[in-house]
Amino acid sequence: MVVVTDAGPLIHLDELGEIDLLVDFPRVLVPEAVWDEVTQHRPGALLPSFMEKMAAHSSSSELNAIGRLYTLHHGEWQALALCVHFAGSRLLTDDTAARLAAKALNIAASGTIGILLRAMRRGQHDKTQTLALLEAIPTQTSLHIRSSLLAQIIAEVRSP
Amino acid sequence: MGKTIQAELPERLMEDAQTLVDNGWAGSVNELLAEALRRYLESHRDDLAERFIRDDVEWGLRGQD
Repeated sequence: MVVVTDAGPLIHLDELGEIDLLVDFPRVLVPEAVWDEVTQHRPGALLPSFMEKMAAHSSSSELNAIGRLYTLHHGEWQALALCVHFAGSRLLTDDTAARLAAKALNIAASGTIGILLRAMRRGQHDKTQTLALLEAIPTQTSLHIRSSLLAQIIAEVRSP
Repeated sequence: MGKTIQAELPERLMEDAQTLVDNGWAGSVNELLAEALRRYLESHRDDLAERFIRDDVEWGLRGQD
């Protein structure tokens, strides 16, 4: 599965020291604008050994309209254009508007929490490690999530 | 009755906003800024964010890929 990543998951996974989790995806594409943004704010989150910096692809009129409607940033826009180009790819983003736009374009999307839980499903981490990472989100990362929702997720992961 | 706020915006952004107003696409810069904020808030609603995170949990725990 090809994944195209926005800045959020790169930054949040790196904040948790877990950027290597992305190596489990066969191809990790990083749009140029996202690459530049992350280079400025958190260069350690970019690992050229397995991430591919991709030039922007032309954007369809449908994507242009959706991008404007949801006031997408340049990086999110480029990421969606890449997803359209690589049919069947998945967008990695924590931005609600980008996820809404992805839904409108019939593109699968996931965020940082999904990646952490997938890592447990795929055997990259055990349950104890995953719980520790989820519990670290409010203090170690800049990912915003309502505390009661995070508590529900932690309870679901903890349940047998 | 609206609330007056003071905000510092990039010059280029204001120029683009004023051009839209001058060309008749918005009644005023005030109206345009309120519309932009309304659209942003609509697309970043709390319930949507929560629904997407719940989708994440489903995919993360029980997805196939």
